[in-house]
Amino acid sequence: MTFSEYLSNSYENLIELSLEHLQLVAITMLIATAVGVPLGILAHRSSVLRPPIMSTTSFFLTIPSLALFAIFIPVFGLGSPPAIVALTLYALLPIVGNTVAGLSSVSPAIVKASRGMGMGSWRRLGLVELPLAWPVIVTGLRVSTQVTIGIAAIAVFVGGPGLGNEIFRGIRSLGNPGAENLVYGGTLAIVVIALAFDGAFVLVRRFTTPRGIR
Amino acid sequence: MATDTATEHPEETIGAQTGTPVKIETSSTHRSLIGWFGMPVFLILILGATYIWIQGRELDSIEQRVLNQRVLTEKLVEHLQLVAVSTAIVIAIAIPLGVILTRPFARRAVPITLAIANGGQAIPSLGLITIVVIWMGIGFTPVIIGLVAYSALPILRNTMVGLQQVDHSFIKASRGMGLSPMQVLMQVELPLAIPVMIAGIRTALVINVGTATLATFFGAGGLGFVIFQGIGLNRDPVLITGVVMASGLALLVDYLAGVAGHFLSPRGL
Amino acid sequence: MTQTESSNEVMIELDELTKHFPGQANPAVDKLSLTVKKGEIVVFVGPSGCGKTTSMELVNRLIEPTSGRIILEGEDVTNSDPDELRRRIGYVIQETGLLPHRTIAHNIATVPKLVGWDKQRISERVDELLTMVGMDPDVYRNRYPKELSGGQRQRVGVARAMAADPPLMLMDEPFGAIDPITRERLQNEFLRLQAQIQKTIIFVTHDIDEAIKMGDRIVVLRDQSHIAQFDTPEAILTNPADDYVADFIGSGASLKRLNLSRIRDIEMATDAPIGRMDEPADELARRLDASEWSAILLLDDRKRPTRWVNAQDLRRPGFDPTTMGLKARAVVEPHATLSDALNELISSNGGCAIVADGDGAYLGVVDLETIMAAVRAMREQHARFYLAAKNPDTVEV
Ligand SMILES: Nc1ncnc2c1ncn2[C@@H]1O[C@H](COP(=O)(O)OP(=O)(O)O)[C@@H](O)[C@H]1O
Ligand SMILES: [Mg+2]
Repeated sequence: MTFSEYLSNSYENLIELSLEHLQLVAITMLIATAVGVPLGILAHRSSVLRPPIMSTTSFFLTIPSLALFAIFIPVFGLGSPPAIVALTLYALLPIVGNTVAGLSSVSPAIVKASRGMGMGSWRRLGLVELPLAWPVIVTGLRVSTQVTIGIAAIAVFVGGPGLGNEIFRGIRSLGNPGAENLVYGGTLAIVVIALAFDGAFVLVRRFTTPRGIR
Repeated sequence: MATDTATEHPEETIGAQTGTPVKIETSSTHRSLIGWFGMPVFLILILGATYIWIQGRELDSIEQRVLNQRVLTEKLVEHLQLVAVSTAIVIAIAIPLGVILTRPFARRAVPITLAIANGGQAIPSLGLITIVVIWMGIGFTPVIIGLVAYSALPILRNTMVGLQQVDHSFIKASRGMGLSPMQVLMQVELPLAIPVMIAGIRTALVINVGTATLATFFGAGGLGFVIFQGIGLNRDPVLITGVVMASGLALLVDYLAGVAGHFLSPRGL
Repeated sequence: MTQTESSNEVMIELDELTKHFPGQANPAVDKLSLTVKKGEIVVFVGPSGCGKTTSMELVNRLIEPTSGRIILEGEDVTNSDPDELRRRIGYVIQETGLLPHRTIAHNIATVPKLVGWDKQRISERVDELLTMVGMDPDVYRNRYPKELSGGQRQRVGVARAMAADPPLMLMDEPFGAIDPITRERLQNEFLRLQAQIQKTIIFVTHDIDEAIKMGDRIVVLRDQSHIAQFDTPEAILTNPADDYVADFIGSGASLKRLNLSRIRDIEMATDAPIGRMDEPADELARRLDASEWSAILLLDDRKRPTRWVNAQDLRRPGFDPTTMGLKARAVVEPHATLSDALNELISSNGGCAIVADGDGAYLGVVDLETIMAAVRAMREQHARFYLAAKNPDTVEV
């Protein structure tokens, strides 16, 4: 069976797995952003909390992905939950790191000036610091998403959803005719998703960045 | 540097500036006690606790088949071999490539190379290794090739960034004194790029420890075996032993690379 | 100025040197021809972007010329090995370019190592150079560049350029990034050093005042390194070749001329009453009375000026020479310019500046009158010069 025959036979299956994969990545990124950006703000504002926050998040990224997935099986059993938790922990560092880097890159003169205009700490964050740090934060989200899309393939080993299943089906039948198509198909779909997200992030960054600093 | 008049010594700026705050250097040379000893202590505690917990359990026969000294040692050694060989090869390829790509004559090849390398990052590690295995069959060598391909980018990128961020005035002054391009590379550019390059090697090491856990599917063993046995046999002690060993190895390697980076970076930076 | 000290032997000759950067309409340096004599400081001065740096880097071939020739000590080096050439030419840049991962000693040793000196000789040379630029070798030898101030780094940069005793030195805005007070000090130190070492120096600056102070001869450049005028500072100040040069000098040319004369060239007053710290008060008072001065200058045992005391101080019961009177301020060295002296004199509230040698020992004093007399003399001389230039028939000198 050629690769194109495989594609025309099982594109429906591939699309379904891709949607699962997308869903897994989307949920992960939503949680990771909701947790990571505030953690980054906290780390930027508190020099006491910064070291523990940074070293904890980089700790997760150091752990082998398979190990991080597996460790949640005893807690959640097999399936989506351990995959989502592990992926979220994995996705945190780029988001937290870039949030801190973006906020620190805001010129102290601008911060001082806005304080001089009577802006309170939170207003300053919302109106001045976050908008100026935004391009760097978006870059963090982009890196994080890329990592998540690739690592999500490993979720199959803890019974998770997504395109890892197609690759794993290929691995289990290695040597049999057509096995390589499963691997190519799953891998290709992941690459397409990754590139699509990358392009989308370029656009997002472009259109959500205030014009003056674009 | 020289343009920073705010850090002039007071003896030379009497009356020149009043009350200019002097920036206090908080470089990594002043590592805290936690920075130096936190990780080793943490690793000893975790490994010790796991060991005691396993020792205190009655292992059934299935668990015993994996959780014995012979198997665990073998898997650890296999894992170390995978990481050491793949990282050594990556260093041997990516650093010279990075050096070449930052020479003026190769300027045109840079965008293409980086585009390929970056695009390659979109391929998931699982898919990449499997594809190499499809082409070459299972075993140690194909897995090594997969690991090398997957971890090349950080070292390549950091070598290039490290070399490019060397202030041009150092190169200009050195050339102006009569150092040849090769002497400038060896005596000026590479020493100044070392901290960034070591950071890249550290990242590649961590990636390789992580990706090598997949080697067990392709006949190359490693600690992934223990984890997969744990999942497949549904035995938490096996799974946790595998997780702790693989994670401990990654953290240890990361820590050691950080320490090495500290001591290998030239003084005076 | 040191002009009389420079010989007529040629150190370097540039012959129609041209640099055309690819993709630019006009050459950055267009047919630059000039000759630099042994032992003189030639300053390239001109507005930013006029091609000063490019011209200088053509000399050591950090930039390869499009056409033209470079002749160093009679030898055409236009096509010689550039690395060999550069080891014969000292090079100082504004950013210093000190290698941050090497100690000060290691930095200074760069060229001697390249040309194969032995260890002993290198380490002696390093110490000698550090001493020469006023830095204690024992303190600074093993420091790293980041542990020095900007001024100290620039001194090390100069020491490094002199390490293998090159006959020619190129200095590209070496003091440009230094605060004004330190810059002034570095300029003076450098001139003092140059009086001893007699190097041939091409010095780039965009600051006309620095050019006047440092240069034996000045090349005023306009766009594309075209020479607007190449002459001594006196001649350029007195007789600018055209409006471009006149504009570049700017107003205050007469004040700038104060930068041209040094204290050692004028007559300082040596009749001020002086005394030792340990002399009895009545002895000092007698000497003060005998003079036309209102205060007597006390010197310590190494003849360094310490305090001015007046007749009232001396009559006071329990006269103590260490606390009474006024601290002796406004001390200048003989190589200081009249402008320096005037500055000191005005900013101290005493009526005169004290002249002391390099070790701080008293030589004499300079007051406003001395300076005015010098200015008057200069003006007369230049008026004659100016007339002579306009109307050669009336030359009387
Ligand atoms: N490497 C280069 N490539 C192209 N143009 C250059 C280069 N270096 C200098 N130039 C151009 O040459 C001119 C003279 O520059 P430069 O010698 O640096 O001036 P200066 O030192 O007098 O400020 C400028 O117009 C500058 O843009
Ligand atoms: Mg310049």
